[in-house]
Amino acid sequence: MSETDLDLLALHGLAVKKAGGAADVAAILGTEESGVAAALESAVEAGRAAGAKGTFMVAPAGRDWLDERYPEAYADFRADPEATEAYERFERINRELLSLFTDWQMMPAAGGERHPNDHSDAEYDNGVIDRLGDQHERAEKVLDRFAALEQRLGIYKTRLDDAYDKVLAGDKDYVSGARIDSYHTVWFELHEDLLRMLGREREEAP
Amino acid sequence: MTAVADRVVVLDGSSVPDREVVGNKGRSIADMLSLGLPVPPAFCLPIEECRRFHAAGGELEEEAWRSVLAGLAGIEEKLDCRLGDPERPLLVSVRSGAAVSMPGMMDTVLNLGITEEVEVALGRLSGDPGFARSTHVRFVHEFGRTVLGADLEESAAGASPDEVREAVRRDTGELVPTHPLEQLKAVIATVFGSWSSRRAKAYRRHWNISEDGGTAVIVQAMVFGNLGEGSGTGVLFSRNPLSGDPAPYGEWLAGGQGEDVVSGTHDPLPLAALAEQMPEVHARLLEASELLEREHGDVQDVEFTVERGELYLLQTRAAKRSPLAAVRTAVDLASEGAIDSREAIRRVSVEQLASVLAPRLAEDVAAAAEVVARGVAACPGVAGGRAVADSDAACEATDETVLVRPTTSPEDVSGMIAARAVVTERGGSTSHAAVVTRALGRPSVVGVGEGVSEALAGSELTVDGSAGVVYAGRLPTEEVDPASVPGLTQLLGWAEELSPVEVVEEDDGALDLDAEGAALDEGAPDPAELAERLQGAAAARGSVLASAAGARAVLLAGVPRVVRLPGQPAAALQLRLAQEKGNLRERKEESET
Repeated sequence: MSETDLDLLALHGLAVKKAGGAADVAAILGTEESGVAAALESAVEAGRAAGAKGTFMVAPAGRDWLDERYPEAYADFRADPEATEAYERFERINRELLSLFTDWQMMPAAGGERHPNDHSDAEYDNGVIDRLGDQHERAEKVLDRFAALEQRLGIYKTRLDDAYDKVLAGDKDYVSGARIDSYHTVWFELHEDLLRMLGREREEAP
Repeated sequence: MTAVADRVVVLDGSSVPDREVVGNKGRSIADMLSLGLPVPPAFCLPIEECRRFHAAGGELEEEAWRSVLAGLAGIEEKLDCRLGDPERPLLVSVRSGAAVSMPGMMDTVLNLGITEEVEVALGRLSGDPGFARSTHVRFVHEFGRTVLGADLEESAAGASPDEVREAVRRDTGELVPTHPLEQLKAVIATVFGSWSSRRAKAYRRHWNISEDGGTAVIVQAMVFGNLGEGSGTGVLFSRNPLSGDPAPYGEWLAGGQGEDVVSGTHDPLPLAALAEQMPEVHARLLEASELLEREHGDVQDVEFTVERGELYLLQTRAAKRSPLAAVRTAVDLASEGAIDSREAIRRVSVEQLASVLAPRLAEDVAAAAEVVARGVAACPGVAGGRAVADSDAACEATDETVLVRPTTSPEDVSGMIAARAVVTERGGSTSHAAVVTRALGRPSVVGVGEGVSEALAGSELTVDGSAGVVYAGRLPTEEVDPASVPGLTQLLGWAEELSPVEVVEEDDGALDLDAEGAALDEGAPDPAELAERLQGAAAARGSVLASAAGARAVLLAGVPRVVRLPGQPAAALQLRLAQEKGNLRERKEESET
């Protein structure tokens, strides 16, 4: 990998992650921390990132720079019908997952209302976790397709699998907890990653 | 229970087989039958057969299959119809049912028995060929997905069964069998096989569940609510699940079949419509619901279908209920003697109580306030602050803020944590913003429309995430008077009787756990360790006391008084203490027996 590739990749990873240290960014890129650290330092020097005490953020100039670089860097990916097709499959799983996360947090009740899920109904929770398992198996297939095109995307399969395994082990926060690498957190980073590579906008569910 | 050719168990109410034999679902059907309630006829391949299936290398033994055929013949005889018969067709559902429910198990295949000819017959009987067609398509889709493992898109409206068969073949290289008995055999094998699925194995490993168990298979006749006059389907709650009012509450879809209830294609009518249409069925249904409620000691949610004037109960379970109804039904059931007061206290979670008592906007305040945006109520609660249009501003602010974004992405999570409430222009109840705010407990309104973020930035707002409304200005919220919540005074009275600890407003000698560095943070507090700190204290206060572990520590240390902090409702502390007291006492009773 040439140095400029890593410059792009590190800043891209930081944009997906929003803020974090070199180790965090390296973890989502599935690459060596030392190289990422150097790339982030040089991004700070170039005014593309801001950083303090080992935590970095993308600077406005860095955003513009990324937007300029993406079309060329991912020209092949964007032009590949296999990538588009895999992304369409991803979107379909995404819609299912979003309604699943809603079901996880808000239980359907009589009269079409929903109440916050206090997780006291094990049968209900297990049903949702089982649906998550179904979607996880679909997601694995899609990630295999993406990883065949862009190897580093395979790391998301590992991260999603880690989150799902924690859920199975009873750590229910790992379904949609916002402060941890829950299934939802990792899935949204993956979504953001793909959107940036493909140059698309996030579509919100109606 | 009757043994047919030894290898299946006919569920007919003659006895109630053990959960370890027929699994949870089989047991639940047997329970209803033993109460004399009408349930569609069914038989069960017991858990033992799952072990045999695996011991035989993933094959259903010939003798077991002969027993299945005998069980099926029993259902056919009872209902005077046959699997695959175009004149009088029988359709069955096939479900898994382990003694412990776990993920990864194949769940259900419905409408097994539908073929080209049966589709025509079902179209004629229901007077709705479109329904018969979609039932057929759904069956092929479901079979392809669960039995053959095809990853299929939702079938397009108007797709034919053959088109779905072709999609399955393209994805898996396998054919969906056309003969119902072949399909039945394959589904049974899939249910048994799913005991060894990757997910089920991982789950058992995590939870130390023995690999020696297995799942039962329940084969049950399907009944239809759309077979002309005197048919329909519905759901009945033995008490009102919204208000907790003791009157039964339900919905009736005349001429509707299962999926119609969920899909919203039919407008449901109140239960009174069933009383008018078929008074005897209605009376029988209410009797059944009363019986089931008494049997289970809890409010029941009963699914039922009426096929040509014949009532069938499909499922009963403890009803989901609003926090308000949770309080009222727990107190009513205890007052009626169905449960004791300790159980009533356990039935209401501290979260439900907090939700009932959550500060809200007074009606007159809300009515007089200026509405600046309306959208989807995504996370309940009321909070206000200065509107900021980006997450960095929310993170850097020293005052209380409301994050108002066109839409949110993972980049915004830190801002959502920092803000008191969240508003987005786009998205619905399943959007990223909705999901994350609920995880964080931040009131939110989503989908308020384009341009709102820019227009509102800088102004003071109040977000009502329960109503889906954003108001101009910071509006005062009002406390809820516990006496105004039906049943709550009684519940708290019982809690006080049960718990020896007094909850007070002030006590000069109170040990302050927050000041002692034992504040409630992300980690789970250890009751024993906390109890040691509290030993000998005359009173205690601290954020940790709102947790179950904190309440338990107070009881273990014998602290007589707890001082409430601002934001800790006295009622919630009282309830928690009573629940933990009940748990401790129960443990003691268990160890004594």
